[in-house]
Amino acid sequence: MLNKISGHQVDRRLLLKGAAAGGLGIAGATLLSGCAPGASGPMTFGARTVDESPTVQLQGLVAAYTAKTGNEVAYNATESNAFQNNLSQYLQGTPDDCFQWMAGYRMQFFADQGLLEDISDVWDDIGDQYSESYKIASTGLDGKQYFVPQGWYPWGLHFRKSMMAEIGMKPEDIYNWDDFMGALAELKGQGLIGLASADKGGWEAMGTFDILNARINGYQFHVDLLGGREKWTDDRVKEVFRHWEMMLPYQNTNVLDLEWDGAMQLLLQRQAGFFMNGSWFGGNFLEQSQEDYDDLMIVPFPEINPDHGRDTVDAPVDGFCVAKNGGNPDGGKDFIKFAGDMEGVQAMLDTGIPLTSANNGQDKSSYDAFQNAQQAVMDEAKYITQFLDRDTRPDFAGPIVGPAFQSWFKDPSSTDSILESLQSQWDALAPL
Amino acid sequence: MSVTENRVDKKAAEKATQAEQKLKRSRGAQAVKDRIISIFIGFFALAWLFPIIWTFYSSLRPYKEIRAGGVLSFPKELNFNNYIEAISRMELPTYFFNTALITLPAVFLILLLGSLMAFVVTRYSFKANVALLLLFTAGNLLPPQLVFIPVFKMYLALGDLVGDRRFLYDSPFGVILIHVAFQMGFATFVLSSYMKTIPKEISESALVDGASVFTHFFRVMLPLLRPPLASLGVLMTTWIYNDFFWALVLMSTDSKRPITSALGRLTGEFVTDYNLLAAGAMIAALPTLIVFFVLRKQFISGLTLGSTKG
Repeated sequence: MLNKISGHQVDRRLLLKGAAAGGLGIAGATLLSGCAPGASGPMTFGARTVDESPTVQLQGLVAAYTAKTGNEVAYNATESNAFQNNLSQYLQGTPDDCFQWMAGYRMQFFADQGLLEDISDVWDDIGDQYSESYKIASTGLDGKQYFVPQGWYPWGLHFRKSMMAEIGMKPEDIYNWDDFMGALAELKGQGLIGLASADKGGWEAMGTFDILNARINGYQFHVDLLGGREKWTDDRVKEVFRHWEMMLPYQNTNVLDLEWDGAMQLLLQRQAGFFMNGSWFGGNFLEQSQEDYDDLMIVPFPEINPDHGRDTVDAPVDGFCVAKNGGNPDGGKDFIKFAGDMEGVQAMLDTGIPLTSANNGQDKSSYDAFQNAQQAVMDEAKYITQFLDRDTRPDFAGPIVGPAFQSWFKDPSSTDSILESLQSQWDALAPL
Repeated sequence: MSVTENRVDKKAAEKATQAEQKLKRSRGAQAVKDRIISIFIGFFALAWLFPIIWTFYSSLRPYKEIRAGGVLSFPKELNFNNYIEAISRMELPTYFFNTALITLPAVFLILLLGSLMAFVVTRYSFKANVALLLLFTAGNLLPPQLVFIPVFKMYLALGDLVGDRRFLYDSPFGVILIHVAFQMGFATFVLSSYMKTIPKEISESALVDGASVFTHFFRVMLPLLRPPLASLGVLMTTWIYNDFFWALVLMSTDSKRPITSALGRLTGEFVTDYNLLAAGAMIAALPTLIVFFVLRKQFISGLTLGSTKG
């Protein structure tokens, strides 16, 4: 009995000693990490995705950075919609040092509020690896850079090669509006849906509006309209809806009941000839089967106004930013430089996940046929827009434009009143 | 005599059989009524159950099949693969732990503070007590979406004051506090209405016996409050468990957020695998169901609180 008790006491003493030693060890480790080699020390990275493939890609990037510099990176992933809706609070509060975000107005909006770190000096180092259009997309309203691009994808008309071959149609030859209308009519004659469309989410149809507006009225008008420098009640905007109305008879009738993936299914199941969407959905085809993916192809949206040809494309650019309120902005900068440099891009490519990188250094000979076609769509365009909800005020795109387009689908004859209401709601927005 | 007697007997017998028939007929009518009611109830039960059954059915089907054949296609494959994937993708242990870390202290504090508040406003009469009760209930009327920006700024300011931005913001502590603040009004309201039904004499005799305020509350009132506390406990647990909003806006690190945000991990940026999501939803719904079934009796007795006196 006595022995047992004393034994306990020894144990307890040992435990205390152990705890003290452990405490010292932890303190020592923190001291050591405080003077770790490399410019910047441990930092955190915020990913705006929890999807499997992009996560593999980003973790490959993070691992390569840690291997090179020895800097620890904490990887925080948030589901993209939650991340996006909460970004304003995130940036004002306790953001990660470097985080994943989008180019264009969405970045400029937050840069303007002083929430993003100016990374112009990073661009001085890696700028020569990117073409000018990407630098423009990475530049804030004050002329400084706040963003480093990762990858892009174009919006265009997607179709299945085998299906078109069966019908005997050559989508590559569809150059202008009349060709396109003829093709749609022919598809309808075959009992097919000409153009698979969806707008249940409120954003899917924005891509169609963007391209119609850019084709009919040109890049400058489109950008000015979204920037509030032109009016929605303008006759030129009405012209956009007049053309859109011509496409309606060839679309599926349940546009408002389908989210984008419902429209994609129409293409996958060979019920529709064309599908206007961003090329990212190729991943879904690949998931279905390699055969389906190999069958997928894209062409640019046809020309409508010869003055503008096919000079504009919606091609959202995703990438990275450094947060001003992060705990270690220098660490964030160091990381973003690595991510933008060919070295980081290569680390992402090495994961084997398909990426159409913005970096000039990517070896394009490894592109598959679909990626090559995406590149061709990009190359034909002179101007790159980001997508309606990335090119205009966030409080205008989602809550106002989305529902307006949905109500237009319910009653296309009410174009005038919908546009008037759009303009009056823009005018009523609080100044930034 | 005997004839008349006989007649009377016959008449009586006739009357008796008539009454019996009437009874039978009315019984028959009652049976028909019962059956109609049963069908009615059954129909609504099915209507209520349909979403759950459909969710369960969807959770057994692979998304690939839906994508190829549509939602209404005949199932070729039914299995639990979605559950296995949901469990691994949701990192359940972490997120369940986070939820417990927020829910348990929050519910405890709400019940404790709510009952203290209700005790004061019902047992002591002073000028401000009705106003106080109104104030607490009124707080409940503000939608969270309206006040979250000021709360967010306040949390950051307080954090800066202490020297650690993560003192309230991005910490479970802050989320617990906001839940307590928001739900206490409702708890106070329910508990005070229940306390009003407890006879004043009990309190008076406690006072006569020399009970201090704390003895009065902890040893006399609190034991009497068990039924409403239990039902409130279930309600609060469910509400806080289901909360997504506060954890989203008051936390920036996803790995600190509760189970509701783990469901978000199953939705992709563009692709949403609804079958996988259905499996996740079934898993996430389990704990609330368990809490409900364990405390079912108290919950139902709580619902009828105040419908009878006593």
